[in-house]
Amino acid sequence: MNSHVNNDQSKRRQRIIALVAEILELDDPKSIKPTDRLREDLGMDSLGSLELLSTISEELKLDLEMEDAMGISTIEDACAFVEHHYAEQHPNE
Amino acid sequence: MPNNTLMSDPIVQSHQAVREATDRSMLGLVVEQARRFAAREIDPIAFDRAAQLPRRVLKAAAEAGLFGLAIPESYGGLALSLGDICQVVSELATRDGSFATSIGLHNGLGTRGLIAYGSQSLKEKWLPKLASGEAIASFAATETGAGSDLMAIRTTLTPRGEQVRLDGEKSYVTNGGFAGLYTVLARSPEMGGARAHSLVCVPRDTPGVEVGAEEHKMGLRGSSTVTVSFDGVMLPMENVLGTSGQGIAYAQHILTWGRTIMASGCIGAARNALNAVLSYVIERKQFGRSIGHFGASRAHVATMAAKLWAMEAMVERTGIEDINGGSIDGISGATKVFCSDEAFDICDRAIQLHGALGFLSDLGVERLLRDARVTRIFEGANDVILVFAGTALIALSRSDAGRRCHATVEPDLEEVARAWERVEQELQESLDRVRKKYGVKAIRHQLVLQRLARAHIALQAASASLWRARAVDAVARSVARLSVQQLLATAKENLSTLESSEIDESNHLQVTEALYRLGAMPQPVRA
Repeated sequence: MNSHVNNDQSKRRQRIIALVAEILELDDPKSIKPTDRLREDLGMDSLGSLELLSTISEELKLDLEMEDAMGISTIEDACAFVEHHYAEQHPNE
Repeated sequence: MPNNTLMSDPIVQSHQAVREATDRSMLGLVVEQARRFAAREIDPIAFDRAAQLPRRVLKAAAEAGLFGLAIPESYGGLALSLGDICQVVSELATRDGSFATSIGLHNGLGTRGLIAYGSQSLKEKWLPKLASGEAIASFAATETGAGSDLMAIRTTLTPRGEQVRLDGEKSYVTNGGFAGLYTVLARSPEMGGARAHSLVCVPRDTPGVEVGAEEHKMGLRGSSTVTVSFDGVMLPMENVLGTSGQGIAYAQHILTWGRTIMASGCIGAARNALNAVLSYVIERKQFGRSIGHFGASRAHVATMAAKLWAMEAMVERTGIEDINGGSIDGISGATKVFCSDEAFDICDRAIQLHGALGFLSDLGVERLLRDARVTRIFEGANDVILVFAGTALIALSRSDAGRRCHATVEPDLEEVARAWERVEQELQESLDRVRKKYGVKAIRHQLVLQRLARAHIALQAASASLWRARAVDAVARSVARLSVQQLLATAKENLSTLESSEIDESNHLQVTEALYRLGAMPQPVRA
């Protein structure tokens, strides 16, 4: 059970990183570190951050509130934010 | 707070007042000189027909100091502020859009990067020439595949020892045909990271720089627009502006100047259109009366004046915010969108009021409309700026959005000031509803974002109109009142259509999907 959950979490994390790479037009998603800050380190503007979360919310069928999303600073924050809402909105998965 | 103590000293205040008065009086002289220069040297119809500015006019402009408006005094310029440059450019644009565009671009997009971010030695080498008009400046960012989306730029800048190498091609380069120095935005993945861009100054005579033929255009035909290509162009490292890799951030700052100066050009066109109308509608008689005395004409003329008032207010306010050191990222975009849209509408009304005569090119009013058209496209297409502005609005938390109150307004404008506050409140409530309804998916609803942005910009313009009406005469106050009333109506109209946005979006989707599939307008098939 736990390994299944961890596996899904890991897939979602990889998807977030792949999307960041896609939005930023980076050739190698591996160059992105969890501690990278979206704005300062990766040069992602607020439109890019919203694009990322909007795509995630569509793919994972999540309702993500604008106000909560504005507190996200790093890749790790984005992953934790998505996991938190995923657990809340899909409790049986 | 030593500064506050100093500023409260009456002697210092009096010195400050004298300095400001001297600055005002110098600006007045520069504007007056620009007006005389324009009347003497500029023949807008001839420039439009020849599709170029004569060399002698550029030379005369250089002698009149029009290329040195923005450049620091130590390099031979006038060191005018953004707001002051706008006053000069709007004066020139009242005579001719093409000439004003050339001067405005040199003093804004063309030289701003070098002045703000250039090294000491690069400035010493180029600014005196740019101030004297010996060299004219240009800015090259757009490419055929990268317009509003600057991140799609393909031109590259790569380090080569002590030098950098530039390769690529830039399109729609204003002033490009006669420029001596280009500020070029390029990708520089080896200088600042995979997504990095840098700005680099490129002298025209560098081997590998090739300037294309002049484009044939709908308007601003006297101005120069060319493609410039760079093939293995080698440049000294010092030609890279500021910190390499910061090009997009620098370009955004440069664009705040470019957009505000461009908006001041729109003011000139609108003023020209209104002046032409005022002399015509009284003189022209139909049904036994001057057409200007008919209610339908009065509606056009009064609206033109109200819009022009707000345009001038927006540009003036943006200039003051820049002097005060605040960010003008948002307001310069709003000013650009507002002034370009309104200038086009004012020029269109001017043609309407002139009737068939307005359609003839000898009068020159149709040229104003043609010239104004591109301002809604270049330096950021209005549609795109509106989407970005709408996104920025919903991304702000409520406390960030704030409510700009008018501390003091004239007593007879109190009523519209209170109405402004009510509509501003409606906007804030609409923003909350949109945030709640769509969450982060709001960015997928461009129609919603644009309507919010249009409402916000109308409110900003109304606020600027009220602010500009401090201590003015009764006629100006009546223009300001009408301006605020009309802008509040625009804001309310945009807010009222938010509710139907999803139906509108769904209808647009249905129709366009069919049209894109068919590739043409279908003929109806009847049962």
